[in-house]
Amino acid sequence: MKGLIRSFLTTGSTFLRKPVTREYPETHRELPERDRAFPLLLWDQDVHEPFCTGCHACERACPVECMTVMMKDNPAHTSQGGTSSRRKIIDKFWIDYGRCMRCNICVEVCNFDAIGMNNTWSGHESSTADRLDLVMDLQQLLSQSRAGAVKPWIAP
Amino acid sequence: MTSVLLQPEHEFETQDIFVNMGPQHPSTHGVFRMVLAVDGEVVRDVLPYIGYLHRGAEKLCETMDYRQGIGFMDRTEYLAAFNAELSYVMAVEKLAGIEVPERAQWIRMILCELNRLSSHFMFLGAFGVDVGVLGTSFTYAFREREVIFDLFEEICGDRMMYSYFRVGGLAWEVTDNFVARVHQVLASARQGIEDLDGLLTANEIFQARTKGIGHISAADAIDWGMSGPSLRATGVSLDIRRDEPYLFYPEVKFDVITGTNGDVYDRYICRLQEMYQSIRIIEQCLQRLQPGPIVPERMSRLLRTPPGEVYLRTEAPRGEYGVYMVSNGGNRPWRCKVRSACLSNLQALRDMTVGHYVSDAVLVLGSIDIVLSEVDR
Amino acid sequence: MTAEFLGIEMPVLLEAFIKVNIVVLAMTVVVMALIYLERKIIGRFQMRLGPTRTGPFGLLQSIADALKLVGKEDLRPTGADPWVFELSIYFIFVPVFVGFVVVPFAIGWEIRALELGLLYLLATSSVSGLGFAMAGWASDNRYAMLGGLRAVAQGVAYEIPLVVTLLAVAMLSGSLNLREIMLDQGTVPNIVWQPLGFIMFYIAMLAELNRAPFDIAVGESETAGGPHIEFSGIRWSMFQLAEYAHLWIMSIVGSAIFLGGSAWPLGEDLGTPFQLLLMGIKSSALIFLAMWTRASLPRLRIDQLMGFAWKVLMPLAFIQVLVNGFVIVYDLPLLLLTVQGLIGIVVLNWAIQRAVARPAGRPGIAAWAASEATS
Repeated sequence: MKGLIRSFLTTGSTFLRKPVTREYPETHRELPERDRAFPLLLWDQDVHEPFCTGCHACERACPVECMTVMMKDNPAHTSQGGTSSRRKIIDKFWIDYGRCMRCNICVEVCNFDAIGMNNTWSGHESSTADRLDLVMDLQQLLSQSRAGAVKPWIAP
Repeated sequence: MTSVLLQPEHEFETQDIFVNMGPQHPSTHGVFRMVLAVDGEVVRDVLPYIGYLHRGAEKLCETMDYRQGIGFMDRTEYLAAFNAELSYVMAVEKLAGIEVPERAQWIRMILCELNRLSSHFMFLGAFGVDVGVLGTSFTYAFREREVIFDLFEEICGDRMMYSYFRVGGLAWEVTDNFVARVHQVLASARQGIEDLDGLLTANEIFQARTKGIGHISAADAIDWGMSGPSLRATGVSLDIRRDEPYLFYPEVKFDVITGTNGDVYDRYICRLQEMYQSIRIIEQCLQRLQPGPIVPERMSRLLRTPPGEVYLRTEAPRGEYGVYMVSNGGNRPWRCKVRSACLSNLQALRDMTVGHYVSDAVLVLGSIDIVLSEVDR
Repeated sequence: MTAEFLGIEMPVLLEAFIKVNIVVLAMTVVVMALIYLERKIIGRFQMRLGPTRTGPFGLLQSIADALKLVGKEDLRPTGADPWVFELSIYFIFVPVFVGFVVVPFAIGWEIRALELGLLYLLATSSVSGLGFAMAGWASDNRYAMLGGLRAVAQGVAYEIPLVVTLLAVAMLSGSLNLREIMLDQGTVPNIVWQPLGFIMFYIAMLAELNRAPFDIAVGESETAGGPHIEFSGIRWSMFQLAEYAHLWIMSIVGSAIFLGGSAWPLGEDLGTPFQLLLMGIKSSALIFLAMWTRASLPRLRIDQLMGFAWKVLMPLAFIQVLVNGFVIVYDLPLLLLTVQGLIGIVVLNWAIQRAVARPAGRPGIAAWAASEATS
């Protein structure tokens, strides 16, 4: 009976301790800086255009092939009378969040620090009723960074 | 023997009942299916079915370069992803002859042992539920697992699929308060182990349920190719960390825990004691941790390996997790085969279960501590 | 025949009808409260919060559950035996419900204080085993069948120690009337004279109720719900209702018989509200203990369960009856009973230790099964 009593005492001691439950939808735990949700494209606030030049590096490196990238000539390049130093710029970009496995490789291969992993709760709470809604286009990918809502952590 | 009942014309026609367990069953730990032939309550035969979670991870790895494969290794062993990554990256390093910096190796050791802790917590919690403590052990275990996962999230950004080890070292440096945080986690883990220990180990009902159940002899265990705690519970002192050292395991002190009877109780005790050893290893690693580089200075951007083959095994929480890799000189493996500990351990299921009660079949399955993603890959 | 109820003279049948209705309504509320409390309390034992979503502190959780269950489709498997399947829940629920007739909520607060009240209660409550067997058999499901058979075996086995321990107490009071037994403990509750009896009653009670550590019939991790498995909606909620109503009855009866009910320590002269409160506290303590047990102990196996009932509890219960008889017939001091009870607890402890220390495993069965498999 000694062991039974020990079990009772253990549960009794946890009965008196504080519950560890995080009441999720009301209180969101603060996410660490390095938290990885889904990849986002970043916005260059200085010249008001995406960092991304559409170089296809991430598309080639993606293990699950969830990205589609198309580039174009940058209309805002200095040679065209603009202010940007980017000769080429991203035209169309799709990421299928349904396929992405959040491995961070796209961030590592990017030469321009133009893509980063969303480290806010908005990246985690992205459930949709339709699988096709998980395919993000360029506007959706850029919107959060453009609004200044995210500051992804990119490994030095 | 002249009883009327035993005379042929009065002989009872008895028939075994077939009870199907899984793939949707509370205690098959994933999508495992077994069909039990039951005579009353006694199991007469077991027929396991695997493959519900087969995703072809090995084949996928052959279509990817070495870095891309790491993410798939995470998913073959989702409860101890660091250990799975470790086998993979070390196989590639051995193939390519890359020297890993010291600091990276120490950090790898710490993270792998922490992952072993979290994996064993998962075992203890689920095992308690199998024995029937209504989830109390489960919540105790998950409480501590969350603490460990919080640390992992701070370091590598993800809670289960880390994708943090790289060929040659680590993806990036750990956080500044790493050492202090690990100490915090260890203190919490100790409390968790004590709680689970107090809840289960000495409990008479628990002992009556687990002692002498699912016995397997050392010789049979070796014949089936079992490894890890399931093998050590039979008394075979085999631990790859000690017998075929990798990383800096020769430089830390730890005991290899062995059982004597090879029953369910011994497998439980082995895992419980191993957790204390893991804590011991981590504490020694933290003392030896020095600042330094985490990737080799000269690493080519696109890794190519010389032709050849390599088999590298490490001691994952469930046993020997080996990666067999053949390269034909390209930037991707020509063949990548994962030697899964769970699959080998699971083969002994029939030997261990037949002759016990239905309730014990659940216990035996739980005590092998299978992860179906590792069995099916 | 007339009877007085709340100061009004009325026909006996009408009085009984009114009282039954009050009890049934109270039971529904109490069962809902019990389900909520169990979830909350077990949550705290597991360092969780329990239900928090519905209403403040999740107070409306039981009501939400009940509404959901009522709204669910009433399913019956194709292969099920329709009549037995439909009737089984009544065989589980009605016996429990009928038991409320003699439950003494306070002195004078029962529907009928039958002279053979204890016998009546035990006789009715043991019928529900039949309901489990019917549910398990008729469901056309192997888990349900295993669970149903387990429930019957267990119910039959634990009926005997339960009855014998309670009869041992009844010997002390010299009555089977629950009110008499309660009033007899005005000065000292029976637990002092029968400590072993109380422990055995508590164990047998848990087994009768199919609660942990004796919940092998339901056994979520093995038979995935046992006899309940094919029931849904309102039928399934009847199982729950019966389980918790039974828990309530047993806790009140246990506190009436062993803890002095509403008679001890305030005596019978204090007003009914105090008596109700006292009974409430005592029965809540027993229910809390049952929940604590559920959160702490693993489940037994069927053979261990049966062995424990027949080899340990039965002999001890009969010895208790014998000793009680000697003490009463020869007018020995009652303190002897306490001493005997404490010795009995030591013996119980020894029996449990022995069961664990024995090299477990049944090579006999294993060898038999292996030979059968090869032949």
